[in-house]
Amino acid sequence: MTNPLPADPPRVPVAEGVPAGWHRLHPLTPVVRAGSRLFALVAVLAVIALANQRQDSSEIVTDLVVIALALSGGFISWLVTRWQVTDGVLRIDTGLIRRDSRRFPLSQVQAIDVVQSGLARILGLAELQLRVAGGDASRGGRLAWLRLADAERLRAELLAYSTAARAIQAVPAGTGGPADAPLASAVAVDPIAAGPGTGAIPASAATPEQQLFRVRSGQLAVAIALSRPGAIAFAVVAAVTAFVAVTGKTAATATFLPTAIGIAATVWRWFNGEYGTTVTAAPDGLRLNSGLIQTTAETIRPGRIQAVRLVEPLAWRPFGWCRLEVDVAGPRVRRESRGESGRLRALIPVGTKADAMQMLGVVLTSQPMPDKPVPRRVRFKAPLEYHFLAFGSDDNYVVSSDGRVTRTTTWIPLEKVQSVRWVQGPVQRWLRLSSVRLDVAGKRVTGAIEDRADAEARDLLMRLPDLARAARARAA
Amino acid sequence: MSAEPDDGLNWQRPSPKLLRCRRIQVALVTVPVALIVGLACATASGLAGTLSAVGVLVAGVVAERFLARRVAAWGFAERNEDLMVRRGVMIRRQSVIPYGRMQYIDITAGPLERSLGLATLRMHTAAAASDARIPGLDQAVAAKLRDQLAALGETQAAGL
Repeated sequence: MTNPLPADPPRVPVAEGVPAGWHRLHPLTPVVRAGSRLFALVAVLAVIALANQRQDSSEIVTDLVVIALALSGGFISWLVTRWQVTDGVLRIDTGLIRRDSRRFPLSQVQAIDVVQSGLARILGLAELQLRVAGGDASRGGRLAWLRLADAERLRAELLAYSTAARAIQAVPAGTGGPADAPLASAVAVDPIAAGPGTGAIPASAATPEQQLFRVRSGQLAVAIALSRPGAIAFAVVAAVTAFVAVTGKTAATATFLPTAIGIAATVWRWFNGEYGTTVTAAPDGLRLNSGLIQTTAETIRPGRIQAVRLVEPLAWRPFGWCRLEVDVAGPRVRRESRGESGRLRALIPVGTKADAMQMLGVVLTSQPMPDKPVPRRVRFKAPLEYHFLAFGSDDNYVVSSDGRVTRTTTWIPLEKVQSVRWVQGPVQRWLRLSSVRLDVAGKRVTGAIEDRADAEARDLLMRLPDLARAARARAA
Repeated sequence: MSAEPDDGLNWQRPSPKLLRCRRIQVALVTVPVALIVGLACATASGLAGTLSAVGVLVAGVVAERFLARRVAAWGFAERNEDLMVRRGVMIRRQSVIPYGRMQYIDITAGPLERSLGLATLRMHTAAAASDARIPGLDQAVAAKLRDQLAALGETQAAGL
């Protein structure tokens, strides 16, 4: 079944590279899927075996049976899972008892990521994740696991496929977004780039790739140490040390252990996730590679960016550091899983203001700055935020800044605005203020023009839908 | 009515039956709660039972006043290219949803709403934060509005 049968060739005229017919996933899939659980199981069984002291052969057999059972589920799942690409649609069939057949029209795909966990990396495997807009996370497609080289080739081909599929269809409005032009210009003109992207995957065409940014590991480490999780970690360590120094009871530190592990895990996930972030301009979009143990490669296609956010935490500001994040259309992140203090995919995990401005030039066609401060009476309503509240706009973007100690500046492409809301709370009414929100299809960013004078906000509510429509018409 | 600036829009209102629906909902909560609280307190003394039951009923009447104001605040206006919905008394909100951005529209009706011939119309865009619903429409009006909006959405569709 793994044989590429050329029986029914795809009718979309590109990406002949994907052989027709059904394909299996990599045979080592069950091992990787069982992954950490398997290791935990083996560890537990080993501990039990050692603790029992009786190295009975029958017990070892029992242990092996347990492990085999743990693996068999994954093996059956692998056995019944197959995928194929036909007519611009990726089909994934799976399930033994309840068959589950999923179709992903490639023209709808927002981004394709190549993800590697630690174990998969050792085995040279990678997972392909397809992201589609709207709905919940389960709507995304996963091909896990494939050989790394296969995964990368398949991604390049699927992306080329989907681009062509969309070019054939009458391009729906909004897909040829504002990032189109600057990306092209970045590839053609921008001389800043320092050679081809290191971990980048060769594109389908032999177009040169320009590296736009690479995070410095030392800077990332310092930046994390200066962030909120970093500060909490230091506080906990300091508290424990002080406690031990004063009381001399080392055993008491065990109480702190779960907290300490939790914090360490958070900090580690952050560092691991954003280590070595590299942004490369490629013909099919911005390519993002990152990760230390678990690596991800992601392509942000032009015109898919729903919001751009510049974050400047208090402790970073003395160094002039900042963080640049983008939000792309996708399943909205549920509130309970927003653990990581609302962080988004970072183009620049940490960098200088100059880095950020250069990257803004790539992802935005124009860079309006929040230059209109709020009325002075806002101090009574939001004394801490007052200094950061501002907004600005031009024909293509609305930009607003807010934050109490961390300053956040958000750019929303008018072309992407889904709906506009006007809100006025009781305190705002008393102070004759109101806010305007811009909803986009991103994962968690909403444009918020907070605390404007009443008349101005009313005017914005009436004008913004028209501006958005004009921007949409221009993009189409 | 809230002191809305005259914006020259043709604001439409939910059905007057929405107020009746809300009143029944309040009564359905208040009366049993008053009975239970009254009976529970009556084990201490008859006076305490009566007083607490009356107290709960008064709270229900106050809630009814709040709800009446909220019902009165609902309004929607069809403009050329978008739908405007306003609501709220304490926190006032007004949303603009372009027809082209509507992904799907659904109509829901709970048992009480159904018995009164009412329905809630809800519009969904690709942004989860978009919040646009119109409660308490007559079922016929809701169905007509849905078809109308769907048709407008189709002609002006703009996807993501």
